[in-house]
Amino acid sequence: MTLTSFSSDSRITAISRLAALRLPPTVALAFAVIALVIAWSLAPGLFTSHSPVVGVPADKLLSPSAAHWFGTDHLGRDLYTRVVYGTASSVTSALIAVVIAAVAGGLIGLLAGFLGGWVDILLARLVDVLLAIPNFLLAVIVVTAIGFDTTNAAIATGVSAVAVFARVMRSEVIKTRHATFVEASFLLGGSRWHILLRHVLPNASRSVLPLAVLQFGLSILVIASLDFLGYGDPPPASDWGLLISIGKDYLKWPWLVYAPALVTIATVLSVNRISRWLRKTD
Amino acid sequence: MKGAYLSYAAKRFAQAAVVILLAYVFTFVVVSILPGDPITNVLRDPQNGFSEDQIRQIIAAQGLDRPIPVQLWASLSHFVIGDFGLSMRSSRPVTTLIAEVLPSTLILASEAFAIALLLAVTIGYGTQFLPKRLGQGLLRGFPSLFLSVPNFVIGLVLIHVFGFQVGLFRVIEPNSFWATLFASIALGIPVSARIAEVLIANLDKESEQEYAAVARGRGLTQMRLFARHLLKPSSLPVVTVIALAIGELLGGSLITETVFGRTGIGSLVQRSVSTQDLPVLQAVVSLAAVVFVLVNLIADLVYPLLDPRVKLIGNRRYRPTTADDSAATASAAMTS
Repeated sequence: MTLTSFSSDSRITAISRLAALRLPPTVALAFAVIALVIAWSLAPGLFTSHSPVVGVPADKLLSPSAAHWFGTDHLGRDLYTRVVYGTASSVTSALIAVVIAAVAGGLIGLLAGFLGGWVDILLARLVDVLLAIPNFLLAVIVVTAIGFDTTNAAIATGVSAVAVFARVMRSEVIKTRHATFVEASFLLGGSRWHILLRHVLPNASRSVLPLAVLQFGLSILVIASLDFLGYGDPPPASDWGLLISIGKDYLKWPWLVYAPALVTIATVLSVNRISRWLRKTD
Repeated sequence: MKGAYLSYAAKRFAQAAVVILLAYVFTFVVVSILPGDPITNVLRDPQNGFSEDQIRQIIAAQGLDRPIPVQLWASLSHFVIGDFGLSMRSSRPVTTLIAEVLPSTLILASEAFAIALLLAVTIGYGTQFLPKRLGQGLLRGFPSLFLSVPNFVIGLVLIHVFGFQVGLFRVIEPNSFWATLFASIALGIPVSARIAEVLIANLDKESEQEYAAVARGRGLTQMRLFARHLLKPSSLPVVTVIALAIGELLGGSLITETVFGRTGIGSLVQRSVSTQDLPVLQAVVSLAAVVFVLVNLIADLVYPLLDPRVKLIGNRRYRPTTADDSAATASAAMTS
């Protein structure tokens, strides 16, 4: 498949997608979950009347009920409220991580693929090094170096995902570079920068979108793991990973683990489903 | 062909060595250039009770007052001969510290790896031969589900169900048979997802080939068709994923060991992180990179020998994925 036919194909699918908007039911469900999560993070106060920080000691460790959907924790705080209030930080930090990874990785890939030569060789080794260190270990090292809090955990997660974006971007740029319309633009006298920004970048970033969505889900997991190990914000923050980490000391009251865990899993599953759907429709 | 293979091997060896050295430099740079001064933080910690003079002595003894490039050169030249220096916290050689905890992690990781392979092959078999409506779709969803569950949650669920409810093991005996088994399951499940994804994709491709149709026509049983004909060609690309899986096992052991209360490389890293014991961290990261690079190297070197269809064109490293862009995205995502 040549790139020209590829882009016109996808324009047609984009139009027909808008016209028909036929979503597979699982994708629709995934979007609904994500919409709820976004709403939770934007306006947590609308979804719960309890306080995420102040508990009612008499109500501690209650099992889930109509009054307390996810039960209460060891200080009598409503767990559902804690999860809702923890959403913003969990989701935003994953977003920061993806932006860092996509921008830094995309730039590395773009330069390596477009300039080629020794720049490519140099950047390829850098990417090899980033790939050689296990992702999670890399995130742990970076967060150790810059200090423990959730934003730093997000930065560390982003750094550990740079290599993936760099590789995809590079291969896309190389593919685009040899497309007929890029060569035509060269012949018409387009400068390198003009071609890079107007032709190569937009076409090559197309495949970065599904990857970014996928990475968003992964970042939620990695940041949750860093929070779980205590490298994020300390309590009373209520990031999902931190909630699970607190819950693990109260395994006799398992909803303290299961409720935030299920929210995390549902979110990540939905994100992954959307990513797969994007990859297929594009 | 033989000459081509040898020069390919030599080139890959050189690349691997460069990557290992750069990984060491990278960690060094990250921990020494980034803001924050963990070393004096640790030494100034009132609990340690060092006086300013002693701190200066320690820093001089460790050579930490020299310019960073000099330090880097010194530490790199020690690293090349396998000397990782002394732990900042306990003043014992880093190699001893690592050697003490390595066996436990090796047991955990190899058991987890075996479970991951077993699980992936079982899922792969199921997706080919279960009836379409019964369970096949469910099985195909498994890798994606496994990748959406944080592995500490898998560990906690296993502890809750099998430790507390069933009573198969107690958390205070992390090295007992059952505790180790469940820890390996927790570690192995996410890894199996990566292997299964690739395996399923390749099984689907292979089972549409003509030789598979011929084998079916000859009346082979499903098990035989799977084991004798489909599994081998489909598992070749898995070799490259395995190298990535090893890295994930190492990273995952950090969490799994914490959850199950095991001592090992993961808990050593945890401890070194909380005390900001940089020499230990640096050693573990470089070792992880060494393992990753070596496994990758072996996979790359073995691949052309396993698969005679692979040709080493112009000494380029062979990549088993096709140029199709969805596959490229998928394989790149695989590395994460």
